[in-house]
Amino acid sequence: MSQNAGQCSGRDCVNCLRLRALPSDLGEAGLKQLVKSGDLAVDLATAFDASPNPYVVLTPDLRVAGANKAYFEVTNSTRAIIGQPLFAAFDSGPGEEAPENVRRVKASLEKARDTRQRDHLALVRFSIPRARPDGPPVMEERFWSATHTPILNAEGEVVWLLQHTTDITELEQLRRRIETTHGPASSSALDAMIGGNVLERARIVQEDNLRLASERNRLVEMFMQAPGFVAVLAGPTHVFQFYNDAYRRLIGYRDLEGLASAEALPEVVGQGFIDLLDSVFATGESVYGQASLVKLQRSPGAPPEDAWVDFVYQPIRDSDGRIVGVFVQGHDVTEVVKATERQKLMIDELNHRVKNTLATVQSIAMQTARSHPDPRTFAESFQARLMALSHTHDLLTRSHWEGADLGAVLAHETEAHGPHRITQVGPPVALTPAAALSFGMIFHELATNAAKYGALSSPEGRVLVDWSVSDHLHPVLTLSWREVDGPPAVPPARKGFGSRLIERNVRHDLAGEVKLDYANTGFSAEFSTPLDRGKVS
Amino acid sequence: MTQPLSGRRVLIVEDESLVAMLLETILEDMGCTPVGPASTVAEGLSMVAADEPLDAALLDVNVAGSQVFPVAQALKDRGVPFVFSTGYGEGGLPDAWRGQSTIQKPFTEAAIRDALMAAMGVENV
Repeated sequence: MSQNAGQCSGRDCVNCLRLRALPSDLGEAGLKQLVKSGDLAVDLATAFDASPNPYVVLTPDLRVAGANKAYFEVTNSTRAIIGQPLFAAFDSGPGEEAPENVRRVKASLEKARDTRQRDHLALVRFSIPRARPDGPPVMEERFWSATHTPILNAEGEVVWLLQHTTDITELEQLRRRIETTHGPASSSALDAMIGGNVLERARIVQEDNLRLASERNRLVEMFMQAPGFVAVLAGPTHVFQFYNDAYRRLIGYRDLEGLASAEALPEVVGQGFIDLLDSVFATGESVYGQASLVKLQRSPGAPPEDAWVDFVYQPIRDSDGRIVGVFVQGHDVTEVVKATERQKLMIDELNHRVKNTLATVQSIAMQTARSHPDPRTFAESFQARLMALSHTHDLLTRSHWEGADLGAVLAHETEAHGPHRITQVGPPVALTPAAALSFGMIFHELATNAAKYGALSSPEGRVLVDWSVSDHLHPVLTLSWREVDGPPAVPPARKGFGSRLIERNVRHDLAGEVKLDYANTGFSAEFSTPLDRGKVS
Repeated sequence: MTQPLSGRRVLIVEDESLVAMLLETILEDMGCTPVGPASTVAEGLSMVAADEPLDAALLDVNVAGSQVFPVAQALKDRGVPFVFSTGYGEGGLPDAWRGQSTIQKPFTEAAIRDALMAAMGVENV
């Protein structure tokens, strides 16, 4: 600003303001006239100083750079304020509302500076000192109307702020006086007289602006805390302007502000999301996605993580209807998708088990029918085997199909024959569901056989069952079923379904061994099966 | 009706002995000779690798907690036709095996015969 060094009188030199104020304030015609009249700069400075409108010029950090005569007069100040921060020179006094009044003027100035747009303050109370001939100055409350205009350099940076302020105290006081004496109803007449209507309207607009500003902040706050993710993308490259906490969580707390989407989230480029944004920006048509899979690299070097999202991309339009950005909102539904998958797996597994069980029942029916040509004995045998299977199911259901205790399975399958007739000795042994089902069937066949031909067919006969587990690294269960005090055992002429089932089950399902012994003293069976066979049926 | 599958040797891979016994009974009724049954994938693989002649196989998809597909692949490599048996139906098969002849539990004799014949390309007579 020092090209006019010849005329420049220092940092409050109003000459230095000249050029930028010209085009808008004077217009083409005024400019031509000034140019014709001689030195442009001098004329401007003189005009500025002579204007009846009060002007003050501020630096971007709100220090007084210069002011015209009218300003010094209306504010009862002198050139001593030049160089001072504006709100050190004028602090609106000690009144209760002073800080708020200062805040409003300051906010308007800062808005003009930060947005590089002129800002109007229709009505503001601001106390200024009034000099008295017979004592120290007193603070006097005044009403003002102010316009704040940013002045830019060739690069578009704000170099000065111009405040044009008008003291409207008389108008405002008159309006108030009449309003208090005659009530608000008569203010319309006053409005007509003094343009109070305009003032009132201006004040309402200003209040609206304040309300809108706080509304906007509240909305931003709400977006910030919304459970769903929200982002505002600007321009054709979808630059992140705003995104909330949920969005940050989704993308792994990366810093996105001011970055184009493809640059901010490079891993999604090949996944079609940028293409979708492009299409929303180009066509203005919203795009919806449901449970869409997106692979996100949430931290550098980490493998991409799968996330499923419900989302909508909507165009953002300016007041002329042009698309200026894309509004992104949605929900991370990853947990829902995973829960649904788990549920589907569980239903499939249940179906598999039911069908398997039906095949088992089918097998029992078929084998039982082959050894019972008489329908009555078939029904009895088949039913008993079905009940044996069902009893073990009951036990497993109680443990949510985690397994069952060997002793409990044995007790369940033999209790119909009288608990005192079967003695069991052995430690608790946890059986897998498949092993529990096998032992359930085996104990049922043994007990049925004992009741028909063995110890349980005579009043004194008993069954002794004892077991132990050896080798705890690869535990092996050894179990013996011994029938005593009954009739001598006789080997069957033909292997029935019962003994075939026992042998096959032990070998095939339990990967173990069994020895059946038909001795004179009574029937016995010795089992040896590994317990660590991780079987799922 | 004659027995179109008479004398065929059919491998059974099935982890539940009761179901395996059912399959054996049905196969025997059709005049087939059951081979196995294998109760695990490992056992199934060693039976396929053995030099025993096999005309076909019935494979339970879920065998003792594992999927039977390695056995299916070994059979395919050996040129032995096979049928999956499953509680899930054909929808439970992965894409690579979809379209393979499948029977659902519980079984009927007719379903097993038809599936085996389809897999083996045997015409009913």
